[in-house]
Amino acid sequence: MNGDWSQLLPLLGYMAFMIGVSVFIRYQQQHAGLMNNFVRTYFIGNRDLGGFVLAMTTVATYSSVSSFVGGPGVAWNVGFGWVYMAVVQVTAVFLVLGIFGKRVALLARKFDAVTVVDIIRRRYNSDLLAEISAFIIVLFFCATMVAQFVGGAKLFEAVTGYSYVTGLILFGLMVVVYTTIGGFRAVAVTDTCCALMMMFGIVMLVYFVLQTGGGYDNIVASIEARHPEMLEPLSGGKMPYGLYLTQWILVGICTIALPQSVVRGLAFKDNKSLVRAMLIGTFVVGFMNIGVNLTGILGQGVLTGDLAQYGGSDNIIPRIVVTAMPPALASIAIIGPLAASISTISSLLLVGSSAIIKDVYLHRQQRSGKAPSDKRLRFLSMLATAILGAIVFVIALTPPSLIWLINMFAFGGLETAFFWTLLLGLYWPKANKMGAMLSMTGGTLIYCLTQGLGFKIMGLHQITIGITVSLLLFLLGSYLGKPEEKDVLADFFPE
Amino acid sequence: MTEKEKYLQIRREAMWTGITLVVLILFWLVAGFGLADVDMKLCGLPVWAVGGTIGVWFFAMVLVKLLTTAVFKDFPLEEAGEEEQP
Repeated sequence: MNGDWSQLLPLLGYMAFMIGVSVFIRYQQQHAGLMNNFVRTYFIGNRDLGGFVLAMTTVATYSSVSSFVGGPGVAWNVGFGWVYMAVVQVTAVFLVLGIFGKRVALLARKFDAVTVVDIIRRRYNSDLLAEISAFIIVLFFCATMVAQFVGGAKLFEAVTGYSYVTGLILFGLMVVVYTTIGGFRAVAVTDTCCALMMMFGIVMLVYFVLQTGGGYDNIVASIEARHPEMLEPLSGGKMPYGLYLTQWILVGICTIALPQSVVRGLAFKDNKSLVRAMLIGTFVVGFMNIGVNLTGILGQGVLTGDLAQYGGSDNIIPRIVVTAMPPALASIAIIGPLAASISTISSLLLVGSSAIIKDVYLHRQQRSGKAPSDKRLRFLSMLATAILGAIVFVIALTPPSLIWLINMFAFGGLETAFFWTLLLGLYWPKANKMGAMLSMTGGTLIYCLTQGLGFKIMGLHQITIGITVSLLLFLLGSYLGKPEEKDVLADFFPE
Repeated sequence: MTEKEKYLQIRREAMWTGITLVVLILFWLVAGFGLADVDMKLCGLPVWAVGGTIGVWFFAMVLVKLLTTAVFKDFPLEEAGEEEQP
């Protein structure tokens, strides 16, 4: 396939379209005078997201390249138990929007908050806690972004035959460019396009997999004959009960605390958009997770060897794409998983740079009595986004092994850090600074430590330890420390 | 609505979202593990493999529809008296 430039045209066209969208949105916002409050417009889009875009951007940010490549590759090997487990993610959208959406929306309008860290700072009245939060966000987000870049570029290499670096430049550099130009609003709209491309990609792939495998009935009959355990929930021991339990915690319930999801609560317009987003989001997240993993299973009709023969589960989906699809269409289908990767990167990039500019720089300036001009903030915000993106891009060219370690910690680490701090902080008046501080630092450290050492209790994923320790520390701190000031609490729990 | 009423309403919505989660988990258990030994087929698959995946998905959408119509209320998110900024 290598050498045929027309292979790259669909992806090039798509990325050019994304940049066009971003430039257009920037122009439109400038025209409407929204850029007068630059920080709010750039980082949170002036709080005017409607239901459809809110749903799509939440799902697209949440769905990563591994939901499209690694996960379905395992489904190919494990069977329906994997889909049964993946379906717990239908809770991801309605939970975060239902539990935190309006709560943070109301508070954000009251304090003119632009980030989740703003809310944490106000609730616990602590600059130190806010800066620790910002640090945790930037560290884990960078590692996650590198992993997204690498996953996307590897997939690109495997499917098109072009080099890893070509792929990284094609989609990686472009996503940094359009995020830097357009800010939050552009991220939300491009995310929506990405989510649509993901769904389209899944439908296309299912079609060709069914064609190549000789039809649905044929594939199912062949699975039943060759791998009957793929039709059992425990998959002959590959899917123990403990795995189901920890997946409920890790990719279901605790995802409500991910800052990149909660920040969407600061951006929607009204109840109507929230309610619509909860419904549409649940539909889309279910469609994607069931669709993509089912495709992996049906891939048994395309790749009939065993796992070792294909060099591990990460190679399954690329192999299925290459085997089942005509090359011209494969280059379109690959946009789906790459869209999953770039839509995650764009949001993380923006939340990361808002942590640096809004939560650390701007706050420190204000505290020392300086008010940076809007022009300066505009320059610095875009610069921070571009530099953060450039750093991540360069790391992704030759990722050091440390990055994989941090990335492994990232998802559960963010959940451990923010779950109780947000949930108890927003709904429990007795929650205080000492509790939040202990829970965030202690819980996250314990989580990373146990995961780094591979220490488990009853064979369960370390998130169970992290989230339990973090709760205990929170309660301990809340009873030992002094309650927050009355006037702080009055803002959060009106009498 | 006063600020306090808004807070109580939001708390109620959050609580019912949590209850929705519990109901969905129970449904997930019954529709998947609960049907695992039922010797019946749907679309060529064991009935749990359909109930525990597509079934859970549909049920989640029904629950969210119920939740958002029965519990969620529309009220202004801005503070009383404050004009929405342009």
